[in-house]
Amino acid sequence: MSASISIKNITKRYDSVTVLDNINLHIQDGEFVVFLGPSGCGKSTLLRMIAGLESITEGSIEIGDKRIDTLPPGQRGIAMVFQSYALYPHMTTRQNMAFGLENVKVARDEIDRRVNDAAKILEIDHLLDRKPGRLSGGQRQRVAIGRAIVKEPKAFLFDEPLSNLDAALRGRTRLELAQLHQRLGSTMIFVTHDQVEAMTLADRIVIMHKQKIEQIGTPMEIYQYPVSRFVAEFVGSPPMSMLPINNIENTENGVTVEVSGAGKVTTSITLPTDFSAKDAVLGIRAEDTTLVSTQEKGLDLTIKVIERLGDRTLLYGTLADGTELIAEDSGRSKTKAGDVVRVSVSPHAVHIFDANGLAYHSHMEV
Amino acid sequence: MKTLRYSPEHLTSNRRLFWIAAALGIIMMAPVAWIIGLSFKDNAELLRGTEAVFSLPYTLVNYTNILKSSSVFGWFMNSMIVAVGQTFGVLLLSSLAGYAFARLEFPFRKTLFIIVLFGLAVPEQAVIIARHQMFNWFDLHNTHIGLILPNLSSAFGVFLMTQFFRAIPKEIDEAAMLDNASTFRIFWKVLLPLTLPAQATLGIFTFLQAWNDYWWPLISATKADMYTLTIGIASSQTNFAQSEGLGFLGAQAVFASLPVVIVYIFFQRHIVTAVSGGAVK
Repeated sequence: MSASISIKNITKRYDSVTVLDNINLHIQDGEFVVFLGPSGCGKSTLLRMIAGLESITEGSIEIGDKRIDTLPPGQRGIAMVFQSYALYPHMTTRQNMAFGLENVKVARDEIDRRVNDAAKILEIDHLLDRKPGRLSGGQRQRVAIGRAIVKEPKAFLFDEPLSNLDAALRGRTRLELAQLHQRLGSTMIFVTHDQVEAMTLADRIVIMHKQKIEQIGTPMEIYQYPVSRFVAEFVGSPPMSMLPINNIENTENGVTVEVSGAGKVTTSITLPTDFSAKDAVLGIRAEDTTLVSTQEKGLDLTIKVIERLGDRTLLYGTLADGTELIAEDSGRSKTKAGDVVRVSVSPHAVHIFDANGLAYHSHMEV
Repeated sequence: MKTLRYSPEHLTSNRRLFWIAAALGIIMMAPVAWIIGLSFKDNAELLRGTEAVFSLPYTLVNYTNILKSSSVFGWFMNSMIVAVGQTFGVLLLSSLAGYAFARLEFPFRKTLFIIVLFGLAVPEQAVIIARHQMFNWFDLHNTHIGLILPNLSSAFGVFLMTQFFRAIPKEIDEAAMLDNASTFRIFWKVLLPLTLPAQATLGIFTFLQAWNDYWWPLISATKADMYTLTIGIASSQTNFAQSEGLGFLGAQAVFASLPVVIVYIFFQRHIVTAVSGGAVK
């Protein structure tokens, strides 16, 4: 029953303030798409516009072949799970799940069948006669998902549904959502500012920034080939280190950049002939660094803070001129704060960003 | 050093407060106990001296007389009709208006709400003459409708319900909209049940206010068969005190207070919540 969603030239303005600017997006039937971005980027507004809870200023939205932006929310064939779950507090779990079906006059037998089936899938069949006040956060979340499932919608919308759960439950629910998507095969749109949720759940991630779509891609495309400095810094934990570039020299296999406080770094990136080194930066992810002996070539890093994560150790340090760089070592690292280590960087894994934040990557395998 | 909650000083201070509160309670309850005592005494005995209230025998004759011969039962019914009618009317109108002010978009919404709030500042005395004339024109004096109508538009009620509806998260409405519920169904099935605590508070206050109202019934109900209890009892104090006696008057007062006492007993939790501004749950 699921369908594709087409968002065409959507703009949203409140008086003179533009909240979304000319958004175009096509979501495939059965695809799991995550809107990811910082607070205020417009991702929730876009979701609410698809749901019909916000009007659109310009553009149109289609589900399948049908234009839906002119229809009231209840007639769009979508279901939404809210951050606060928005369960009806005076109704039992069963009544919460059945309410939407009663409104469209579905037969009682059919309502019971759908509610019982959904409750079984979500393992909440023993909670059907409880009111939300007597449910835990995780159980409420399941009921909210159950309320969406029984409607058999063309698309599911999730507005940061995991943010009210504790870390352990969030991880488990994330996995269950992924399984639910596989089982139902429905089109799902999920809004979050949590990149782990985005990376683990999405078929494709839509990165939003300053009222626009910054990048659309699979999680690995977004991570390995960010189109801009914003995406590179926003996605990934710890964030990508940015080292100011003083000079660029073309070489046979790419460019060698002279990095402030660290000397020369060889890369396999090819830059356009008119590329300017002014305000350009070299981006390095912590996992693309390796600690090497002082005899080898590399950047000398003075360690300031060490973060031990068990399987790996993050080394937060500074280069000779004070530029910050985060490097990674194994979980058994003996490095201490105050040590000076030499760090080597893979020439294929670095990124260069020009003064406008536009990214250039090496397209050789790392 | 932090003082312990149950230090000897604390307990002494608590004990002192207890005795002050107990003394104040006794002062407040003494007239009530006095009236109850009088209501169980024979009128002839009380004529010789009210100290008879402390000695046997006690009798139910005053209460049986109320049910047999006095007009009190009629006044009681009038008060009940007015109080119940006013309570339901205020709840309905305040809920509808509160929902509209809190949730619906319509022209001059803010201005109209401010005008409603102004109603809180206008004393009844300021409008009573105009109201009297209007009800006279429409021939509504000495009718139940005439006694109920003036207090149906409750500025306090609209304000209370508006604030309560505003406090309900909008996601609840939005979830219901996505569940294909109409505006009326969202109001009736989803939001109104959530305002039950506010309805209870407003209902209790409206009922008590209507039951105890003296000013408007005094003006509007001029015929004895349309008297409410407050007006009826006041008139008997001048007319019957000598002939029917203090015991009978006491029984009338106790009879008149019964619904109020019952309301207090059953809804005391909501009353405490209401007067403490929702601080007590």
